[in-house]
Amino acid sequence: MQTIRLFLASLLLCLSLLGAAWLQSRQPRPVSLLPTLTGQVEYCLTCHADLPEISPSHPVETFGCVLCHGGERLALDADLAHSTMRGGRNPSEFAVVEASCGSGDCHSGTAQDQRDHIQRAVTSVQGTYAGAIASIRFTYGAQSDQTARLGVYPVQDDHLTTATGLASLGTFDPSQESSPSVKAFADYCLDCHLSAEPLPGAQYARLTGCAACHTPTANTDLDQPVHRLTTAIPYTQCNTCHNRGNYDLRQMQFHPRTDQPVDRLHDYYQPIAQFVRCEWTLDCVDCHTRFEAMGDGDIHSNKKEIQYIQCRTCHGTLDELPLTRTIAGQDDLALRMAFLNPVIDLKVGDTVLVTEQGEPLWNTRQLADGAFELFGKATGQRFTFRPVMGTACEQKLDQQESRDCHECHSVKR
Amino acid sequence: MNKKQGPVSKLHRRDFIMVALKGTLGLSSTLGLIGLIRFLGYQSDPAPQTEFELGPASNFPPGSRTPVPEAQAVLYHMPAGFIALSLVCPHLGCVINSVEQGYACPCHGSRFDAQGQVLNGPAREPMRVLRVEQTPGGQLILYTG
Repeated sequence: MQTIRLFLASLLLCLSLLGAAWLQSRQPRPVSLLPTLTGQVEYCLTCHADLPEISPSHPVETFGCVLCHGGERLALDADLAHSTMRGGRNPSEFAVVEASCGSGDCHSGTAQDQRDHIQRAVTSVQGTYAGAIASIRFTYGAQSDQTARLGVYPVQDDHLTTATGLASLGTFDPSQESSPSVKAFADYCLDCHLSAEPLPGAQYARLTGCAACHTPTANTDLDQPVHRLTTAIPYTQCNTCHNRGNYDLRQMQFHPRTDQPVDRLHDYYQPIAQFVRCEWTLDCVDCHTRFEAMGDGDIHSNKKEIQYIQCRTCHGTLDELPLTRTIAGQDDLALRMAFLNPVIDLKVGDTVLVTEQGEPLWNTRQLADGAFELFGKATGQRFTFRPVMGTACEQKLDQQESRDCHECHSVKR
Repeated sequence: MNKKQGPVSKLHRRDFIMVALKGTLGLSSTLGLIGLIRFLGYQSDPAPQTEFELGPASNFPPGSRTPVPEAQAVLYHMPAGFIALSLVCPHLGCVINSVEQGYACPCHGSRFDAQGQVLNGPAREPMRVLRVEQTPGGQLILYTG
């Protein structure tokens, strides 16, 4: 009996060792990477060598994988290696973005260095959804005015730079709301802020956090991995939230569009809206600046407080030329932006359009004859245009808003 | 027919178990030993090289500017002697390219003059100057660590 027990114990030991040897034999031979930025070996490329470079600004030889994604850098077992990744497959989710993309030299630096990307994105109206929440709560009597008080997450800003900037937002908690409509809004209408998972369907396909815009996934299968960051954002990516349909605020329901647009012009959804040629030939980011699209660092109550680009920003008015600035030095922000998305060979000495807030429209350049050229950030397509001044435009001088331009220049749909 | 097989078959089973016991113990020992040898013989990834032998100093005439790709550096023979600049960008560590008027980082656009001083950011620090030593035998050694 004693011998049999001994035999069984040794058999068990032998099987365990054989199992361990079998598991060991299945381990892939590690592919080592030593990123210059971290100086720590990581084995992620053992399985992920076929991933494309995420962007020219983030070469894998420099950044590696773990710096942004987290994870167990020396693990060869997939589950173990991925067990401590930040944000799953998306390290730019706002809950983890500071750890993934932050630091002063990267994306949480100072506003003076133009490196406050995270601070601007998390306080933006697209991030907080404060405008929609304030509007609905005001409409249904939950607050006395339309100044935002709540966002989808709490946020504060210690350094206000605009007159409409707010110091902080609390968390929008539907369980604390008494209005059934506000509760219904929370249930059915919180799908488009930057932390919300998208609605099902390729037309809504986007990631969350920074990647919602900077990783173009529109009209794709989100189950397929995508490894790309870009500032060349096509309008289709904006359309994963915008132009998708309308909200019925009486029923608190989202009614998705049912039409099948056959061209770019009809890819806009608002049936009664008027659009001029720029709006349906350019991409959204060709005109809407980084402050508008990504926030200016202040917390705002609605998009009207942050959206300021008008037709006159590029075209001027009958009595004023558009604002311009000549690039005086290599440190100009316009050159830095053009470097990241080289659709234009901008140089010191070139004159670019600037907004009333001083943001350079770095994809533009003034030509020798006073006209301007603009390059599509996502398409690289070149457009030329002239200022309004000196043309046959008959617009009244006191009517220079974009809606006034639309009166004559909108296209029929 | 005499069918007194019982004691014989019992003896065979015991023998079999003993043989199997010895076999499994032997196999386990062998596997354990292999595992131990592999464990003791494990060599981690070598530390990155920080010392580079560049060859005779006479190979680098005065005024020359020689890229040393394996060290991610460039070697200058100046009137005052040999100096080397690291091509690892002081901003975030990308490998800097040599351009017409100096150096440029392909990742974030920092540019440096021929002496490695910052022409434009985002880098704030100049390119790192590396130590170069000449042995008594006239060999140049570049240190990147």
